[in-house]
Amino acid sequence: MQDIESEVRNLIAEVLEKDPAEIKADMRLVEDLGMDSLKALEVLVAVEKKYKITIPEEKLPALNTLDATVAIAKEFLAKKEDNLSQP
Amino acid sequence: MDNKRVVVTGLGIISPNSGIGKDSFSEAIFNGISGIKPISLFDTSAFKVHTAAEIQDFRAQEILGPEGLRVLDRSARLLCSATLLALQDAGIEIKEDNSRNIGLVAGNTLGSLKSICDFDKVAIKDGPQYVNPSLFPNTVINAQVSHACIRLNIKGFNATISTGFSASLDAINYALNFIKLGRKNIILAGGVEELCMETFLGFHKIGLLAGIKKGSVELSCPFDKRRNGIILGEGSCVLMLEDLESALERNAHIYAEIKGYGTCFEACRPGQHNLGAAGLKEAMQSALKKAKIKPQEIDYICSGANSTVNSDAMEAKCIKEVFADSFNSLQVSSLKSMIGESFSASGALQVAAAVLAIERQMIPPTINYEEKDESCDLSYVTQARACRVNNAIVNAFGLGSGNSSLIISRFFN
Repeated sequence: MQDIESEVRNLIAEVLEKDPAEIKADMRLVEDLGMDSLKALEVLVAVEKKYKITIPEEKLPALNTLDATVAIAKEFLAKKEDNLSQP
Repeated sequence: MDNKRVVVTGLGIISPNSGIGKDSFSEAIFNGISGIKPISLFDTSAFKVHTAAEIQDFRAQEILGPEGLRVLDRSARLLCSATLLALQDAGIEIKEDNSRNIGLVAGNTLGSLKSICDFDKVAIKDGPQYVNPSLFPNTVINAQVSHACIRLNIKGFNATISTGFSASLDAINYALNFIKLGRKNIILAGGVEELCMETFLGFHKIGLLAGIKKGSVELSCPFDKRRNGIILGEGSCVLMLEDLESALERNAHIYAEIKGYGTCFEACRPGQHNLGAAGLKEAMQSALKKAKIKPQEIDYICSGANSTVNSDAMEAKCIKEVFADSFNSLQVSSLKSMIGESFSASGALQVAAAVLAIERQMIPPTINYEEKDESCDLSYVTQARACRVNNAIVNAFGLGSGNSSLIISRFFN
């Protein structure tokens, strides 16, 4: 799970053109780090692509910190694994 | 409308034979330096030809800084860079109080092709869900100019002219009209095209590239008997165009004056020229009339010849007809012998060459000219030649067949 946090941090850092170390877990992506709506959508797609998951777009406003983004990634990754484990 | 005089006060150039900036471009074109080399941007092993006029080692971050480049494609980076260079050369810094007074218009036709293909490749390979939304804006034809305006805070207007081979001359005319109508005093105008496999493939497939036919040479040699097609190129050139009063008021360096423009679209079949040359002839005559300049007053023709058999012959025929009384004393050369055919960017690069010819009173050469062809029976400048250049005409034309001509003159106040 530590890996997911690190991977999502790197994805956000790449989109925001920042050093990953600058992205603190509870920083607000819009207010503190300059995220805009297009970049937020890019992060959502990057997370979906990385983990081969589908995050509904209505979740977009909830991707407002690194912590929140990691939590959502984990939530949908768990759903995917549940679906895969069902006969 | 015609009372206002429009002058050139800045040049921003990125060219395959000189890299970055007007000084290196000037040195390269007057020394006959070719920018045509083996292609490094993509693998050419599946093609019959392997060279192009590519801007090698282009690093936009050296001009624009590193931030925000991630989502700009090559043509947007080229145009942003050339626009900034033109602003710097003109000594104009864009601030909040002047940003609405400056506009940008550029010719571009193929610049989004690679971005469109890359975007669609992801959709096909990974699924439509996984396309990068930040790259979608690059797929539209006005992306490059819009990116440049956003990045450089140009708020006067932004416009893209997408008329193929003549696009950047048409963009310059768009700017001329804006200034002459008094809508803006300062406008950046030019063109951009990037080299990419997708464009190369298209030109290769329709057989327009030099060296495709068995036994033909892979060479850009306009007007030469060996010519057999184009060498594809890329580049970006932006000129700062300014109302004379504005230029004088701020004590700007004035390179030259834009005197006249003419255009004629002939509606030929796709891929065809009008070999009767009526369209280009009309474009040149219309530009001369607009400029109130007689054919015999033209010193230099910055030709649009790109080493294709029919179009070079068409231009030569046209020159002989329009300049019937003076073609023996005319200086004619084609820049495309050095920088290849960069489609919608070519016209602006030719204008920059003509402006520098006026500035230096010297004609850049047509390199690779060795074998005379009777169908192009004119006298060509094959080594840089110092001579009087008071008036120059730039021609841009292509398949289809759009034709535009622009007259640039030495500035006399």
